[in-house]
Amino acid sequence: MPLETPITPGTVDWTGENPGILLKGPDGAFTAMALFFRIAWSPVGQGHVLALFGTPDAAEGTEAAPNVLLSDNPPLGDFIRDNFIARLGGFASRPAFGGMRHEAATVARATGDPMGRRYTETMARPGLAVELVWEELERPLALELPPELTGTGAHTMFTLLVPAQRASILVNGQPLPGEVGEREQAGMKTTTAFLYFSETWVIPPEGG
Amino acid sequence: MSRTPINPGRVDWSGENPGIYLKTDPAGDYTALALFFRVVLSPHGRGHAGLVLGAPDEARGWPDVPNLILTDNMAMMRWIVDGWVTKMPTFRGKAGLSAMSWLDCESVEKRPGDLKFRYSETLRGSDVVMELAWHDMGPPLPVEVTVENSATKAHEMYSVFLEAASAGIRLNGTALPGAVGRRQFFGRDMSTAFLAFSETWVTPEDGDAA
Repeated sequence: MPLETPITPGTVDWTGENPGILLKGPDGAFTAMALFFRIAWSPVGQGHVLALFGTPDAAEGTEAAPNVLLSDNPPLGDFIRDNFIARLGGFASRPAFGGMRHEAATVARATGDPMGRRYTETMARPGLAVELVWEELERPLALELPPELTGTGAHTMFTLLVPAQRASILVNGQPLPGEVGEREQAGMKTTTAFLYFSETWVIPPEGG
Repeated sequence: MSRTPINPGRVDWSGENPGIYLKTDPAGDYTALALFFRVVLSPHGRGHAGLVLGAPDEARGWPDVPNLILTDNMAMMRWIVDGWVTKMPTFRGKAGLSAMSWLDCESVEKRPGDLKFRYSETLRGSDVVMELAWHDMGPPLPVEVTVENSATKAHEMYSVFLEAASAGIRLNGTALPGAVGRRQFFGRDMSTAFLAFSETWVTPEDGDAA
């Protein structure tokens, strides 16, 4: 619940949407990972970014399962990769993080209803279309997390979580292998397929 | 007070909700009010709206007076106007709000620029072009508001606000008169023109249904 002081101490790092899908194989290892960003404010402007680890455990992906960063605002793509994804241990530790190419996207599009049955995000450039699909959506939850509960360990974070029980990552229409698994966030069991709306990352004041 | 990481309340809607409130006399009442909505999640779906009261105290609608709402999701916006806008102090009891014309919106275009010097939202439909433009924005302020501090006095709210030093409302190319003023908001002196990103409204666990 909100604190009594209406203005949260600290500096906004970025705000926007940040849904993702992490697919696992039968052995529990991640087989494909994707994070999408629709940024409403950042120091380098608005835009869309998609990080796809089609082959998480190799620096070089394949044509069918590429490791790629698509963006329609190159400085924003760099900012999100270097300032945010690099601080998420589960992503930055993968060989795919160092190998993914940053490419210009020509399409960024959402469809569906996050309080309905299905929601999608698509980013594409000529020759490559990546579609993220979330289904069996749960009710939305408002989260406000102190730094010790966030992925970076360094920010206060506000977000709106819509967990999904089913999800898929399609590359040029073909689904990548793997299934949605379980994870824990702020002591709550949830899934590895999630929509995050109205998400704000705040750098707390020094000593705050 | 420490945080409760998972808010036990019911999420009502989320999205963007910038506004512009203008005065022709700095000591007088507001003479033109505008709100923009880009709703990404609600029980009534997603959508956009631009709400303008150019004659807030007149119980008439468009085209007699510039009191109108352009939207691509009427059901969602009737729910938000009833549950939120009518409860906001700036809009509460305004004759123009209940009399405004409800018009279909066919397109919405934003021009974000660099988020420092100019930002605009343009809505088109029903033979109306509504342009809302904000200029000279300050840094983003993260806000979190309790029921007691919220505009509706019924919800909790999270958002990111950017004050704008000046702003304008244009309908079919004609600017509504007035200038941005100052008001006490979130415990500080703030502009009456603002961008509001990543805004989420929550009904507390023990709150009334909207």
